[in-house]
Amino acid sequence: MSGPVALHTPTTPVAGAALASDPVLRVNDIQAHFRTQHFGVSREVRAVDGVTFDVRRNEIYGLAGESSSGKTTLIKTIAGAIKPPLQVVGGSVQFSFMPGYPGLHAAPAAEVERVRWRHLSYVMQGSMNVLNPMRRVISTFQDFAWRHLGGSRKQFEERVVAHLARVRLDPAVLRAYPHELSGGMRQRVTIALATICKPDFIIADEPTTALDVIVQKDVLGMIRSIQQEMGSSVLFVTHDMGVHAHLTDRLGIMYGGRLVEEAPTPEIFSRPLHPYTVYLIGSLPRIGDDTPRKSLEGSPPNLADPPTGCRFHPRCPLAMEVCARQVPPMVESLPGHRVACHAVNPGAAA
Amino acid sequence: MLAILRDLLKYNLEFRIGIILVGIVVGLAILSGFSPYPPGDVYVVPPDVPPSSAYWFGTTSRGQDVFWQVCVAIRNTLLFGITVAAISRVLSLVIGLLSGYKGGWIDRALMGVNDTFIVIPLFPILVLFYFVMRDSMTWLMLAMIMATLGWAYDARLIRAVAMSLKTREFSQTAVFSGMTTREILTREHLPYVMPIVFSTTMNNMNWSIGLEVTLSVLGFTDINTPTIGGMIYWANQHTAIVAGVWWWIAFPIAVVIMAFVGLFLLAVSMNEYIDPRSRLSRMGGGAR
Repeated sequence: MSGPVALHTPTTPVAGAALASDPVLRVNDIQAHFRTQHFGVSREVRAVDGVTFDVRRNEIYGLAGESSSGKTTLIKTIAGAIKPPLQVVGGSVQFSFMPGYPGLHAAPAAEVERVRWRHLSYVMQGSMNVLNPMRRVISTFQDFAWRHLGGSRKQFEERVVAHLARVRLDPAVLRAYPHELSGGMRQRVTIALATICKPDFIIADEPTTALDVIVQKDVLGMIRSIQQEMGSSVLFVTHDMGVHAHLTDRLGIMYGGRLVEEAPTPEIFSRPLHPYTVYLIGSLPRIGDDTPRKSLEGSPPNLADPPTGCRFHPRCPLAMEVCARQVPPMVESLPGHRVACHAVNPGAAA
Repeated sequence: MLAILRDLLKYNLEFRIGIILVGIVVGLAILSGFSPYPPGDVYVVPPDVPPSSAYWFGTTSRGQDVFWQVCVAIRNTLLFGITVAAISRVLSLVIGLLSGYKGGWIDRALMGVNDTFIVIPLFPILVLFYFVMRDSMTWLMLAMIMATLGWAYDARLIRAVAMSLKTREFSQTAVFSGMTTREILTREHLPYVMPIVFSTTMNNMNWSIGLEVTLSVLGFTDINTPTIGGMIYWANQHTAIVAGVWWWIAFPIAVVIMAFVGLFLLAVSMNEYIDPRSRLSRMGGGAR
C-alpha cells in the first residue's frame, strides 16, 4: 500500500449505466498452470486455478491481491501472452469482439493480429520502460499503432497529436527521446499509446506503481476520463487498495490463484464479507483512527503445494472442518456481491 | 552525431590522436589515385635510391617508388579490412540478434556453429586455404574467407545484448502490438546495438589487417597485388635489410602501425562514449 493515497471513504463515481449492459470479457473457470520438468522431476504451480468473472462494457474492473496471488498470470492469460512453462489447462476467456474463440491463446494468428492493439490493448507493468530508449517517441507510435490505424504518415501524425492533447501533452514530446521526459510524462505517453486506437478493452497492469502519489492521482484521473470518453472497458490490476478505491467500479479480490470476493468497489470497502478481505480492508490506514493494525498470521500459500479445500483456511480465524475438505463455491451472497467462503455461505457447498 | 564528434574532439585526447593518425593513413590511400606509375610495373624509376627530395620514401630494388607503392598498398590493405569488417558485421548482427531474440533450438543451433568458429585455429586454416586454392586466391576471396571466420566473438556479444533486450517491456509491447520478428529486430533492437557494432568494427579491422599482413609476409596470399604485407614480402625476397635498403621495409611498417594505433584509439574512445562507467573511472569515480 502506498500510504497516504489510501482513501478512507470510497469516492468512486458509481457507473450506474454500466451495470445493465452486456459483458465485454467473460472469463469462465480459467486455469493456467506453470509446468516444468527438470531432470525427471516435474513440478506444477497452479498460479491461476479456476477464476470466473465478467467485465461489462464501459466499466473499470479492478483486480486486487497480494504478491503471488496470481494477478499477473491471470492477465497474461487474458492477453494471450502464454509462453512455456505457463499453460492454459482449462476454462475459457471470451471477448465480445472476438466471437467463437475460447481466448487469445486458442485463436489463430491472424485473428490475434486483428484483435490486439485495435480492440485489446495492454499497459504493461513498469510501463516507464515501454518506450524504446533509442527511438524518438513518434517512432514508437509509428511502430506500434500505425499498422492498426492506416492512413498516410501525415494523417497519422495529426491523429497522434490530437490524441496527445487528451492526455495534456505538447506535440513537441513526439520529437523527444524517452529520457528527456519526466516519469509522469512518459506514463502519459504510454497511456496515449495504449489508447490511440480506441480499443474496446484495456488491460492495465500496475501502471501507476512507480509514480509518486501526486502524479498517480493525475494519471488515474486521465485513465478515467479517456475510458469514459471512448466507452472502453478497463481491467485494472494493482495491489494498491487506495488506487482501487479511487478508480475502479467493481473489484475482485484474489487469494492463492483464486477469486475470493467480488463486489462493487464501495461495497467491498464498506462491507467486506470474506475473512481475507476483512483483514485486507482492516489493514488500511484511516484518518483519525490510531489503533494498531492487526496483521494476519502466516504467509501466502505455496502454489506448488496448495492447501486442500479453501486455500485461506490455514490462516482463517473462522476456519471450520469443511474448509479443509471442500473448495468453497463462488456464491452471490448479496445482490452483485459474490463470495467464496463456507462461513459466509453456510450450506452453499453442494 | 556532429555534436558528439565535436565533443569527442574537444575533450578526448585518444579520439584526437586516433582521428589524426587515421586521417593521415586515409589521405595516403586517397593519394594512390594520383600515382604516376601503374602499381604493378617494375623498373620505372632508378633502383635503390635513398629517400630524397625526388623520391620522398626512396625507391625499391625492383625500381618502384616506395611512396606511391605505400599509397597503393595501404589503400588495398584498408579496403581489405573494411570488406572483412563489413561482411563479418552483417553476419554477427544477423546471427547475434536472431539467436538472442529467438532463443530455443534456433539459439542452440546458431551458437553451436558460433562456438565451433570460436575454437577453430585460424592461422593453419588460412594457410590450408592458400595451399588448396593457390592461384584462385585473390584478395577478395581471402576477405570473404576471413569474414566467415571473424564474426563469431561479436555475434556472441550481440546475442548477450539481444537476450537482455527481449525481456524489456518495449520488446513485449512490440510483440503485443503485432510487430513481426524482422521489424522488432531491425527497428527496435538494431539501434540499441549499433554503438557496440561501431566499436567492434575498428577492432575487427585491426584483426583482419594484422592477419593479412602476416599471411602476405610469408607469401601465403596473392603477391602480385600490392599490399603492406606484400611489400614486406618483396623487400625480404630482395634481402632489403642486408642490402641496406631499410626504407623499403621501414615506411610500409610505419604506415600500417599508424593505421593500427589510430583504429585502436578510435575504438577505445568510442567505447568511452558508449560506456559512461569508463568515463567515471577516468575521473577517479565509480565503485572501488
